[in-house]
Amino acid sequence: MDILSVENIRKSFRNNFSFGKYEVLHDVSFFAGEGEILGFLGPNGAGKTTIIKIIMGLIKPDSGSVRILGGPVSDRETKRVIGFLPENPFFYPHLTLGEFLIFCAKMSGMKGKSLGSRIESVIEQVGLAGQKEKRLSGFSKGMTQRAGLAQAVLHDPDLLILDEPFSGLDPLGRKIIRDFLLELKARGKTIFFSSHILSDMEALCDSAYIIREGVIVRHVGLDEVFKMGEGKVEITARGYPLGLDGEIGKFINSEERLGGETFIVVNRQEYVRSVIQHLLNNGADILKVVGVKSTLEEIFVNEIGLQVTESKNGFMGKKKVAERKEKIWQG
Amino acid sequence: MARIVNIALNTFRESIRGKLLYIALVFGAVMIISTYILSPLSVGAAKDKIITDVGLAFISFFGVMTAVVTGSTLVYKEIDKRAVYMVLTRPVSRLEYLVGKFLGIMAVLVLMVAIMSVLMGIVVVLGGGSLTGGILAAIFLSILEMAVICSIVLFFSTFTTPALSFFFTLCFFVAGSLSGDLRVFAQKFGSGTMKFIMDVFYYVLPNLRLFNLRNEAVHQVAIQYSDILLTTVYAVVYCAVIIYFSYLVFRKREFV
Ligand SMILES: Nc1ncnc2c1ncn2[C@@H]1O[C@H](COP(=O)(O)OP(=O)(O)OP(=O)(O)O)[C@@H](O)[C@H]1O
Ligand SMILES: [Mg+2]
Repeated sequence: MDILSVENIRKSFRNNFSFGKYEVLHDVSFFAGEGEILGFLGPNGAGKTTIIKIIMGLIKPDSGSVRILGGPVSDRETKRVIGFLPENPFFYPHLTLGEFLIFCAKMSGMKGKSLGSRIESVIEQVGLAGQKEKRLSGFSKGMTQRAGLAQAVLHDPDLLILDEPFSGLDPLGRKIIRDFLLELKARGKTIFFSSHILSDMEALCDSAYIIREGVIVRHVGLDEVFKMGEGKVEITARGYPLGLDGEIGKFINSEERLGGETFIVVNRQEYVRSVIQHLLNNGADILKVVGVKSTLEEIFVNEIGLQVTESKNGFMGKKKVAERKEKIWQG
Repeated sequence: MARIVNIALNTFRESIRGKLLYIALVFGAVMIISTYILSPLSVGAAKDKIITDVGLAFISFFGVMTAVVTGSTLVYKEIDKRAVYMVLTRPVSRLEYLVGKFLGIMAVLVLMVAIMSVLMGIVVVLGGGSLTGGILAAIFLSILEMAVICSIVLFFSTFTTPALSFFFTLCFFVAGSLSGDLRVFAQKFGSGTMKFIMDVFYYVLPNLRLFNLRNEAVHQVAIQYSDILLTTVYAVVYCAVIIYFSYLVFRKREFV
């Protein structure tokens, strides 16, 4: 069963200065299965936070539905099994971290003696040990983010919805949180998070949805990310006449000269020897030979960058985005 | 129920750690004590009456003001700064949230009134007066009045800014204090429509005159406990209805 299913969500906001409305989410659908870590990737203003707020029931979609463990989010039982971290979280400033977490735990229906030790261990896990008595108003951005994560996981939810969980964290903090999320996944929890930090996505996600201007333009599996670059090799060479064609050309993915150096991407490992031989025969110096790994960043930039250049040639309306989306799903 | 209590306690804790309460309390205390210092200026026999009268008025005034200011800013700030997300995304209904907020603010007001009352009690005794059941009853009704005002300001704060909530609630307060008089006036001199409008006002607005027992307390008029009971029921029902209306608005609200 899908832990989280988001189907055909549309949402528009009212224009502030006129009577019109503009749509920011155009028919968004996606699903998360049990034990999956799902990334949500998109440029600023793409609609990530909006969809997350819809999932959490903080705003209502114009149409479409959200189901969590088969139920609507408005159900008390459903809310019990979700943990939520908002974007740039803000908490009651006059409370100490300990008081705040007790408040959250009780709001989630937790009680009993184990509460204290549970809070201790969560504080430890997010790397805030020793800060329990400190007021939240004195927390730095990264500490607030960690406190936010602590309240999200406190009641041991089955589904975590995190809006930019890594923002404001130092490198150590990011590592701690990454490991923590992976541990939760190992225990069968489902995690859905948005982020701009692609390396975090790569390190964590099973798959990622790329959203742009309120349309999901791509669903990338992480194995796909690695496969795309699999077997490709990049040769850096110098001093030969440009243009590898004929028999050798078939082995070549791309050839690009930058300054005095040429970067040649060879399709497959087994062709490397022939290409190098050919280059040497033509009097080239070989400077470097490395394996290529296509990163999520490449896909992201490709997906987003491509459309940016497209829109330069004229305004790309909703229709075009939809067409493009169509193509992606088919292709 | 546990959740409502938890929200109320949290609201209480947040408020008493904020500055507002102390400012109101210090002002209230200074005013009450000043009645003792200034009372010798009045003519002999009425001295303790003046202390009682002015003291009760100050308690009511500072209580109502605190209710309006806290009520208009508290919920608004929580929504504006998004602290409310932490509550509403947990298994809590929006009605529970509002009731919790209301009770939390009321707890703060009761504490504040209690402190000012003790001060006033001391001043009254020092001024040669005595503490009567009438004074206590007047204070109790004052608290009920604050509750009614608190529910009204909470209603406005679920959909508008603090400044507007403050303004609308003050309008309610003034109109509510006068509605009884206006109705009587309209019935004596007004046209048919005027009478009708005043009747509507009379039943929609809280009849705040009911909560004012200060004259009776000062002049030691015997109080009817059945009246107090009825007034209490009136306040509870009024608050419940207004909080329910607030819920109807709040339920639909989006948190963007
Ligand atoms: N309350 C609002 N009123 C009007 N428009 C809004 C509102 N909230 C968001 N929008 C619009 O909706 C679009 C999506 O915003 P959203 O906050 O979801 O983006 P995002 O993907 O989370 O961006 P970021 O990466 O910067 O957090 C934007 O164009 C934004 O202008
Ligand atoms: Mg966002």
